[in-house]
Amino acid sequence: MSIFESYIVESSIDEVFDEKKNVRQYWNNIVEDIEKAGLDLLKEKQGDIDWHLEDNGVTFNIYDTHEKSAQRSWSMDPIPFVICEEEWSEIRKGLKQRAKLLNLILRDLYSEQKLIKENIIPAEVVYGHKGYAPEVFDFGFKENFNLYFYATDMARGPDGKMWVINDRTQAPSGLGYAIENRLTMNSIAKDLYPDIMTRKLYTFVEDFKKLLEELTDGDLSRAAILTPGPHNETYFEHAYLSSFLEIDLVQGDDLLSKNGSLWLKSLSGLKKINTLLRRVDDRYCDPLELNDESRLGVAGLVESMRQNNLSVINPIGSAVLENAGLNPFMEKICEYFLQEKLILPQIATWWCGQKKEMDFVIENLEKLIIKKIDRTESIQVYFGKKMSLPEREALKLLLLQSPHQYVAQQEVAFSTIPYYENGTIEPRNAVVRTFCLKKGEDYSVMNGGLVRVAAEKDSLIVSSQRGGTSKDLWILGGKEDDISMAHSFKYAQYVETSIDKISTPKAENLFWLGRYLARAITTTRLIMHVVKKITNFYRYEVGTSKESQVILQNALTHMTMTYPGFLDVSNDESLEIFPMREITSVIKDTSRGGSLAFTVLMLSNTNINLKDILAFESSKLFDKMQKEWNEFINRTNDSTLIVAGELDNFLIYLMAYKELVKESVFKEQGLIIYDVGYKIESALLLISKSRSMLCLKLDRFIGHDVLEGILNSQESFNAYRAFYRSSVNLENVVDFLIINPQFPKSLAYMTAELLKEFKLLPKAKEELTSYEKPIAQAQKLLESIQLVNLLKIEKNEGIYVKLDAMLLKLSDLYLECSSEFSNTYFSHYDE
Amino acid sequence: MIYNIFHKTVFNYQSTVSFSHNIARLKPKESLSQKLLEFSMEFTPKEYESHEFIDSFGNENMHLLLREPHQSLCVVGKSKVEIFPEIIKEQINNLRAKSISFGNALERLSKFHADDLEAKQFLYESKLITRKSKLIKDYALESFAKERDIFEATNELMERIYTDFEFVSGFSDITTPVEKTFETRKGVCQDFAQFGISALRSIGLPAKYMSGYIETLPPQGEEKLFGADASHAWFSVYIPNAGWAEFDPTNNIIPHEQHILLGSGRDYHDISPLKGVVMSSGGSHLSVMVDVRREEEKVYMQAQTQSQNQY
Repeated sequence: MSIFESYIVESSIDEVFDEKKNVRQYWNNIVEDIEKAGLDLLKEKQGDIDWHLEDNGVTFNIYDTHEKSAQRSWSMDPIPFVICEEEWSEIRKGLKQRAKLLNLILRDLYSEQKLIKENIIPAEVVYGHKGYAPEVFDFGFKENFNLYFYATDMARGPDGKMWVINDRTQAPSGLGYAIENRLTMNSIAKDLYPDIMTRKLYTFVEDFKKLLEELTDGDLSRAAILTPGPHNETYFEHAYLSSFLEIDLVQGDDLLSKNGSLWLKSLSGLKKINTLLRRVDDRYCDPLELNDESRLGVAGLVESMRQNNLSVINPIGSAVLENAGLNPFMEKICEYFLQEKLILPQIATWWCGQKKEMDFVIENLEKLIIKKIDRTESIQVYFGKKMSLPEREALKLLLLQSPHQYVAQQEVAFSTIPYYENGTIEPRNAVVRTFCLKKGEDYSVMNGGLVRVAAEKDSLIVSSQRGGTSKDLWILGGKEDDISMAHSFKYAQYVETSIDKISTPKAENLFWLGRYLARAITTTRLIMHVVKKITNFYRYEVGTSKESQVILQNALTHMTMTYPGFLDVSNDESLEIFPMREITSVIKDTSRGGSLAFTVLMLSNTNINLKDILAFESSKLFDKMQKEWNEFINRTNDSTLIVAGELDNFLIYLMAYKELVKESVFKEQGLIIYDVGYKIESALLLISKSRSMLCLKLDRFIGHDVLEGILNSQESFNAYRAFYRSSVNLENVVDFLIINPQFPKSLAYMTAELLKEFKLLPKAKEELTSYEKPIAQAQKLLESIQLVNLLKIEKNEGIYVKLDAMLLKLSDLYLECSSEFSNTYFSHYDE
Repeated sequence: MIYNIFHKTVFNYQSTVSFSHNIARLKPKESLSQKLLEFSMEFTPKEYESHEFIDSFGNENMHLLLREPHQSLCVVGKSKVEIFPEIIKEQINNLRAKSISFGNALERLSKFHADDLEAKQFLYESKLITRKSKLIKDYALESFAKERDIFEATNELMERIYTDFEFVSGFSDITTPVEKTFETRKGVCQDFAQFGISALRSIGLPAKYMSGYIETLPPQGEEKLFGADASHAWFSVYIPNAGWAEFDPTNNIIPHEQHILLGSGRDYHDISPLKGVVMSSGGSHLSVMVDVRREEEKVYMQAQTQSQNQY
């Protein structure tokens, strides 16, 4: 029994079966293979496909206004969309012609505008289109202002021919998905379709590389892909193409412009970029000259194009070609530029800006589809036949108000194709996206493409934005493809293998990840200690003295810089009676700079920005931690003990996260930068605590309490005991935490480590750099310490003046290091 | 008539700015009726690099990159401009003479006419003048009967804006939508200009935003204080067969000798005197000082040598 028996074609035309329900000749072998396989094998192969796609992390983010963009996996069914060799050669000719034509239109609209001046197209179709960019009005004269990369959506019309439905010109998507579909299809094809020969895709990828080489004078490091970032719906593809084409994947923040050129910021300095494959829409590419609210582009990009230092694929302004208003004039344009007839059929389109056409449209509204000429913003499509009379009247008013902005199109029944889902095969509509690439004076057409299938039976709308699934496009034949070349076509993970190449924003995020993580951990520990003291957690025989409690609390205010905090004299009394009020605010008040909640927020931002570097587990762990943390800080009336327990729990998360960071980031990916940040922050906080807790002259009992406090808050009490085997005294604690060269948490140890790490950084020199100098000075200072001298105190003094002065000096040196480090690596001021 | 113009813009930032791209449009546009005699522009801190270009509306733009860390940016533009009132008068007479009826204009604009192409850029939505409001259209149509002469009708529209709207400063900013200006009947020169443009476009006539200065005079017997002026804005309507005609709804006058043009565009956004992209945290505070002063004696001499005509 044929598995196509239940496949009932309702549409007027089907890809596989002709009007007599016979299998079309070029489908014979494939249909035979599918029949032979049966539904069970199809199901198995569908499983293989799903596994491959998921394993390769192929995702498609769907925009959702209510929730954060959700990633969904990409899907494909095992039945290809097939086009035979003879038909394809005609389609190819047509695609090349259309690509050439659109390129000529693009160049003309941004130079002489002969098309407008000679009345080939109405001015309104251009000036009234949101994609027209007057900012680049004369760039069409430039040699590198071309429609380099062009995608066409096609579907088979009632006459059996493939019709053009849409032109995609500003930043066409889908190439990466098409390649991934093919690689996945290859893995099942040898079992399912053992003898079918298809044209290969690799020559197109080779052509793409050649084009980039041509534009970069052979130096691919001067090209990059500009992505809006990980939240974009097709981010997967941006990363994927960056691997295939072997060029950097960058965001606007990774670039700056000066000397009329674009530069890529990296740890080793600035690197000039002269070619940008952009996946950011026209108006978002440059906040200076285009949309000033955009944060996805780079200020000066248009100026770099203007000064002939940048080729953009495709140039700013190409959105004007995504223009349904051009359709009615394409035949005329083709005649004007090429003296040829248009090869590919289009959907019949009427531009409402002309009186005759407008009258026709108003007359026939219920038979037509009405839409705006541009697709720059929300695409509203009106199906005349589905509208009520009042709705149609309202639409008429809209049309009369701005006729030039609308076109009407004939409603067309496109072909269906068998689609496998959940054990059955049913007919669905599908749209084929093909790709063209400029090659010299001609265009190269990819012998394959991306097929998107309508989400439901009988649905005309095919859009990945709204879900749906895909198919591979097979062009039969392929004897002429040189198989020996095929080995060059493989997916190589392209990683930043050298610390020199880390982009500046990434490095800066790593630095701050270190700083915020150290701050979060240290702050949590100190707060925990203070809270436990309040609840008398340690249950000493002698209760905690009020005086040592006050010193601890003051240290917390100093360290977190949440002034006035516990130092608020006007509020003295209530602070003394209800210390937990202030502590709760230092924990939970996100709006208070320095609070733990604020630090966690900052940490969370850096974590998101580093998502592609950090291990998958670390973001999972972070999400879990943040969820619990948010629940905690949004709760009120927790008892002090519960607060202590939550902090304990949170600290364990932080420590686990810290370990995952250290484990998952390569040294070459900038672990050192993270480490430098971590050490600088730890040192600064240790100095702050020491100034509040070690410099006061206290009586023995109170002093003991406070010293235990600082050791506990450093998680160093046990280590201390192992080291000194003596009771806690000031001299030993200062020795241990500040000048001991062996204890990893001491200032001296961290200082020595930092100096070692500095030598591994890209801008290290023989002599000391500006950020090394203060730390080298700090090391000298620490080495010169004579404890006895440092702890001398005069009778009339309440604090250890010399110790405090030294700590202050060390703090200044560390701050200087931090700011010099930022200037050297993150600001690119002097380059 | 010769004017000396001083235009100082100061940005104060909350935190240090060490990298900023800017575009300045402070150089007055030259035309038959306006000649630029002198021009200088100075940035403090000094720019790292600059590059001049002409935009699609024919305005002079200067692109500047600042790389010196600063907390305040000061830009001073100084120009000396000569205005030729008799040429303007001739132009206005010419426009009046060639102006056609509103109905004929719409008819002509709906078809291809080589002379009208450039003007059609100013017929559609622009960044700041977006929607076509039915209410604003109705307001405009009160002056535009089909058979009415466009020049006369626009003149009346200008008068009506001048009478119906109240000049209130500090009430609006550049992002104030035209609909709000219309609803409150309040605003400053740029609001009135953008409202006029919106009204004209809504009935199908191309209209331009004109940016520049206007000479103001102190109350009789008082001396004019330095820096007492401001930037000014008005609009220009395209009359098929005749050309662009300027109207100043803030002062209810057809610019003829006291208006100095910086440049023009679809709205304020195309021709803002100074814009920039700054990498910095925190906000900024802007202050602007403008002085427009006539060189009295020279004016007479120029007038006598330039033209024998009296008006």
